[in-house]
Amino acid sequence: MQVTNANPSRRNPFRHGGGDLRPFRKANQRQSVCGIALALALTTCLAFRLDAQSPQSENVKPVPLLTGSAGFITTFDGGEPHIGPIVSSIVLLPLGQRWLFETRATFESDMVQEPGLSGFHGMVRKEVDYAQLDFIASPYLTVTVGRFLTPFGIFNERLYPVWIRNLQTDPLILPIGIGPSNASMGAMLRGGFKAHPQFNINYAVYFSALSTANPVNSDRFAGGRAGVFVPKARLEIGVSFQHLLQEERSNSFGFHAIWQPMALPLDVRAEYAHAKRGSGYWVESAYRLGQLRFLQNEMRRTQLVARMQQFIAGVLPSDSLPSVNTKQFECGLNYYFVDGLKATSSYGRQFSADGNKNVWTLGLTYRYVLPLGPAGSE
Amino acid sequence: MGRRYILLCFLGVMGGLTFSAIAQERANSATSSSAAAPAPTRAAGGTPAAKPSSATAATAEDAAAVERALRFEGEKRFRTNCGRCHMAPHKFPPRVMATAIRHMRVRALITDEDMRLILHYMTQ
Repeated sequence: MQVTNANPSRRNPFRHGGGDLRPFRKANQRQSVCGIALALALTTCLAFRLDAQSPQSENVKPVPLLTGSAGFITTFDGGEPHIGPIVSSIVLLPLGQRWLFETRATFESDMVQEPGLSGFHGMVRKEVDYAQLDFIASPYLTVTVGRFLTPFGIFNERLYPVWIRNLQTDPLILPIGIGPSNASMGAMLRGGFKAHPQFNINYAVYFSALSTANPVNSDRFAGGRAGVFVPKARLEIGVSFQHLLQEERSNSFGFHAIWQPMALPLDVRAEYAHAKRGSGYWVESAYRLGQLRFLQNEMRRTQLVARMQQFIAGVLPSDSLPSVNTKQFECGLNYYFVDGLKATSSYGRQFSADGNKNVWTLGLTYRYVLPLGPAGSE
Repeated sequence: MGRRYILLCFLGVMGGLTFSAIAQERANSATSSSAAAPAPTRAAGGTPAAKPSSATAATAEDAAAVERALRFEGEKRFRTNCGRCHMAPHKFPPRVMATAIRHMRVRALITDEDMRLILHYMTQ
């Protein structure tokens, strides 16, 4: 379920400098890092001088939290069964009125039947997905440093956890623009604000340094994402851009949209991404059956999902992306037992030059929230 | 290359700060004007010297109306913002919600105003 790492050659440190140019590039890199550090220090210091700070509401003091999700997903990929238990825990540590330290660690396994052995076998993969320190400098600006999920498109940052996603398979284009381990190592400025009575604007600009320490490796790139959210129409559209500062030094860009019409319990989400290693799109709709007149208690907990996606192979190879043009259609059925506990199932058909196959998933996901201190009365 | 990069970073940050400061100034003026607005309404609710009890009742009614409006708006923002990515969760205890909303402010880039209204709604 997790994205496999990109082509190992992409993370090879000896490919980034290149012979005699390496010392020169290292000096440049040091200067760039100094520049970023200086810019962030200035941002942080100057932000304190702004008057209209946003101390978090009123008299409610936030408490540290242990939250996250657990899931048990069974996948039949081309007839081969995979068992995928996953636990993904997030620690949220609020510090004062403006700071937040947040980190997420994931433990997961992809267990398969080995030839000649009985039962399912697989390694447990442990990874710190992100560990970031956020400083809410003003109502319009939050400064983030550390390892953070790359804000390219919406899936990686917002829809990735198993309890949030409607279908348990990743979109084919997910690896585009998010780096070799889905995260960046560096700094980010981001925020959301009301730009007009009719719409909000949100943005994120970031810089990621090269890291070759597996599994927290990251590429060296800079990029940004901007979105417009129209609350009345419940429509968000946005654009992402990224420039790779190593290897082929290519650009990637993408678009995303989320729409929830007022009249229907329907979610429509879509993304498009383009890079030298490939491009494609996915469109997903999810409909809650709450409008049906029979078995209303059950129907409002039931969700039908459909996703169509297409990937077009790029001029450069990639390990994490399909090697050939691929189309995939999926439909699914989810049932929410209670808030946070969901049964999920789906069927998909993949069409590619490598061969067509069916992809089935069946699973159970759970989201938990545990306060690490007095939580206050309800 | 390095100097140019530093300069670009510096200009970008300064531009962001300037924009932020201007936007805050606007927000400040909007807040002060909206804070001044309820005063005449309360004064018009009764004659304090003549009928203190009716004035108190009117003030209480106003406060209740404001509270209802805040709660309604908070619920609306809660449904609109949280439902964009996931099922809107049930209410959590206030201190849990305060942390969760700070996390969502960073993750989902909800605005400061939305954050305050949602937190108000979720902690009532």
